[in-house]
Amino acid sequence: MPEVAAARKIRLKVNGVAHEALVEPRTTLADFLRGGLALTGTHVGCEHGVCGACAVLVDGTAVRSCLMLAVQADGAELMTVEGLAESDGKLHPIQEAFVEEHGLQCGFCTPGFLIAIYELLESDPSPSEEAIRDVLGGQMCRCTGYQSILRAVHSAAAKLGAARSASATPGA
Amino acid sequence: MAVEIPKRLEDLPTSARRWVGRHVQRREDAALLTGRTEFIDDVVLPRMLHCAILRSPFAHARVVKVDTREAESLPGVVAVVTGEDALRWSHPAITAPDGWGTHCIAAQKVRYVGEPVAAVAATSRYEAEDALERITVDYDPLEVVADPFRAMEESSPLVIEEKGTNVMLQRVFTWGEVDRAFADAAHVFTEKFRWNRVGANPTETFGAVCEWDPMSLDLTVRGSIQSASHFGLGRAATFGLPSNKVNVKSHPHGGSFGGKGGTRGTDIACMLSRKAGGRPVKWIEDRMEYLVSGGSQAWDRHYIASIAVDGDGRVTGLDVKLVDDLGATGEGYGAISAAKPLAAFTGPYTIPVARYDLTLVATNKLPASPYRGMGPPPHFFVLEQLMDIAARGLDIDPAEFRRRNFIPSDRFPYTIPSGNEYDSGSYEEVLDKALDLAGYAELRRQQAAAREQGRIVGIGVASAIEPGVFDWNAYAVVGMQGTGVPEGATVSIDVLGMITVRVGFAMEGQGQYTLVSQLVADYFGVEMDAVRVVQLDTQSAPPSFGPGGSRLGVAITGAVLGACERIREKMCAVTARLMQTEPANIELRDGKFTVKGMPGAEMSVPEVAGTMLARSDLLPPDVDPRPEATHVWTAPGRAPADEEGRAKSYLTAAQAVHVVGVEIDPDTGFVEIFKYVVCDDCGTRLNPAVVEGQTEGSVAQGVGVALYEEYVYDEEAQPLTTTFMDYLIPTVNEVPAMEKVAVVTPSPFTPLGAKGCGEGAIHTTPAAVMCAVNDALVPLGVLAREVPAAPKRLWKLIRAARD
Ligand code: FES
Ligand code: FES
Repeated sequence: MPEVAAARKIRLKVNGVAHEALVEPRTTLADFLRGGLALTGTHVGCEHGVCGACAVLVDGTAVRSCLMLAVQADGAELMTVEGLAESDGKLHPIQEAFVEEHGLQCGFCTPGFLIAIYELLESDPSPSEEAIRDVLGGQMCRCTGYQSILRAVHSAAAKLGAARSASATPGA
Repeated sequence: MAVEIPKRLEDLPTSARRWVGRHVQRREDAALLTGRTEFIDDVVLPRMLHCAILRSPFAHARVVKVDTREAESLPGVVAVVTGEDALRWSHPAITAPDGWGTHCIAAQKVRYVGEPVAAVAATSRYEAEDALERITVDYDPLEVVADPFRAMEESSPLVIEEKGTNVMLQRVFTWGEVDRAFADAAHVFTEKFRWNRVGANPTETFGAVCEWDPMSLDLTVRGSIQSASHFGLGRAATFGLPSNKVNVKSHPHGGSFGGKGGTRGTDIACMLSRKAGGRPVKWIEDRMEYLVSGGSQAWDRHYIASIAVDGDGRVTGLDVKLVDDLGATGEGYGAISAAKPLAAFTGPYTIPVARYDLTLVATNKLPASPYRGMGPPPHFFVLEQLMDIAARGLDIDPAEFRRRNFIPSDRFPYTIPSGNEYDSGSYEEVLDKALDLAGYAELRRQQAAAREQGRIVGIGVASAIEPGVFDWNAYAVVGMQGTGVPEGATVSIDVLGMITVRVGFAMEGQGQYTLVSQLVADYFGVEMDAVRVVQLDTQSAPPSFGPGGSRLGVAITGAVLGACERIREKMCAVTARLMQTEPANIELRDGKFTVKGMPGAEMSVPEVAGTMLARSDLLPPDVDPRPEATHVWTAPGRAPADEEGRAKSYLTAAQAVHVVGVEIDPDTGFVEIFKYVVCDDCGTRLNPAVVEGQTEGSVAQGVGVALYEEYVYDEEAQPLTTTFMDYLIPTVNEVPAMEKVAVVTPSPFTPLGAKGCGEGAIHTTPAAVMCAVNDALVPLGVLAREVPAAPKRLWKLIRAARD
């Protein structure tokens, strides 16, 4: 058994809040977020990169936090599921769409889906069915059978599109 | 006090139902979507330690020596346990069949890969796992038995030597004159089928936080537990504790589907806690542990089955021989899955006689666990393939063949040969709607055209029963005891009229807290948000089993409405006194207690509750002043099973027809589902959106077991499917889009006429997909007998047919 390497200091921003922490190099980003920062909304379903439950945004890109080390996130800006809703509790349109379309049952996989869908809609506001399936294909859900999640993605895209055009309308 | 529970939606005391029976958004969702729901791995307790478990790499070996000294000396390590601790502090697991249990940590020998041999509690999981690497175990490998037929041979090694055999149970159940039916039949069709191991794989694995006080021996277990009360009884038996010393609190969990398991890990964490002076010990199973050694595997079945058919195309007998490989022990209750087909043995058909030749065998594989549907899904896969084989043999369209054999609507309640009673149904209507929605005639035309072009296209039409609201009597044949599965709820109205409902089960994904709120809101005429649902642990909760056997929706409806009825009676008495009339003259409607025939003479629910709790001066002396009641509901009319296993067991029988279209790629053996239609009848739909979600999720799991999922072992019983790269859970790209339609035949026996619907489509989907696959293969003259019909298998079949 190799000796455990000494802890290192990292600095990062999660959901807009700056953190500085000492972490062992072997600590996964998922374990650090959940244990070190008590952001337990990020879930771990497989710890080997297949299920997607642990997805978080690192500098705008969705990554599997079970496959990344916390020290690799030094200097990065992260967003987790806790960063989606507004501080007054108002749900993000993607979350609203999930409620309306019953896009969740047990909800354990859901944080990963929300992050993956958020990344998709940020880069591609009206994604094709193929683009949606491409992204969701990397996320596992054992409860819903995905049909309601597909509906939620379409509905969220429409909501966000409507919000964008409302704010783009002069005088609105 | 007998309580009359509303049998129909119209019986609810409201003139405009706002919640029950409507598409209602779930109250569980906001917390789940924002990451605020507390799952078990989110729990942090003061002084808490973390457990990691060392597991056997051998399927069968003597444990010669376990040396933990080095591990114990590592920094951060607080306690280590081995088989010796298990022998000292625990009993072998309670099992079905009885007497096939072992200790939670192997003491003398290991019986499957992944069996625990030692465990560590340390201040972090990382340290605990480091310590496992410093434990040395000397094994002396033994001959392995990985095949149930080999296990039944005289010369086979024994998995549990003291039993003197590997056969856990061997029985033949005969219901009616089966030999005569087969002798008299115009046609008999016999086939062999193989159903490989599959399993639940909820996205959250099992986890628990255990505290066992070494002085008082009080034991507290928090965990992602499907049935807290049942789990608590199991721990009491394992540790020889009085049952009231064990308190279990289930946490919201990330799915279960019967396959949460977790008993060994829990027992190990309990012993570590005791060794660590009562400090809480958290054990979170990782996915590889789950796949290899958790509650992950079910249904490892070898079938030979026959049906007898008369000259008019009516099925006159069914004969099923099953050898089920339950793995090393009976601790996972996999045997229940072999018993449950009795609740719906002959499916939706009028088959008058049947035989079930059942053999349960131990091998050096992981002990089998339950999985959604609990056993009928493979049984219906077999029955429906036979129905198709017979239909082809008689040259009858498969849909028509089923119609001819359906139980007609006017024959309910209908008792099947294996003893259960089906409550109600409209099977032909369900079939017609499914065929209509699928455009069946057109589908057949398209299929004919595709075949002209040499394409391998098939259509499956299958029907199955979903037994709902389980009873222990259904499993009497594998040694389960008891009749009735009570579910309780306490409804309380406070002095301001706010309502709280206390229940004993945790959120698991089926929206039952929403259902509870819907029921109470409509009953007392309030907003759903005014109803708070609170979960209690086993030392405080009313009797509760929780979800399982498609029961909770029906059972909790009975419990909540029963409690509401009891409160109504108390409030009627109070109102009557205040209004100076008889209770019989008072009626509750739309949240108001009114004097019949006297418009305006009324009191609201908060007014009556406020009077009861804050105006004792106005109360009659003989009245119970609490606007609170508990009701414990259990299915009516159940009785113990007879010698042949016959009983009215499951209270409801939902039915479904699925129509599936597939095309098989001859070059890869890959099955594409191009059509998926569901029509089902699960009685009154209390929250149709939730029912549809259960259906969609269950179809997905059914497609998984039909085409992709499989636990593979080699001849040395080494598991080869140890990650999600090997065990293939369907993604969005494998689950077909579905078209759905429903028929509603309310149950005459249940609260509001609802039928169990949680397990749902997995009863029908594997059968329907395989019917379609085999329909596609007809021109090639081959039959897919094995599930999953993975590309490798179909490719071989197609190759063999074409060569
Ligand atoms: S937990 Fe990271 S992908 Fe499954
Ligand atoms: S909602 Fe349960 S796994 Fe997706």
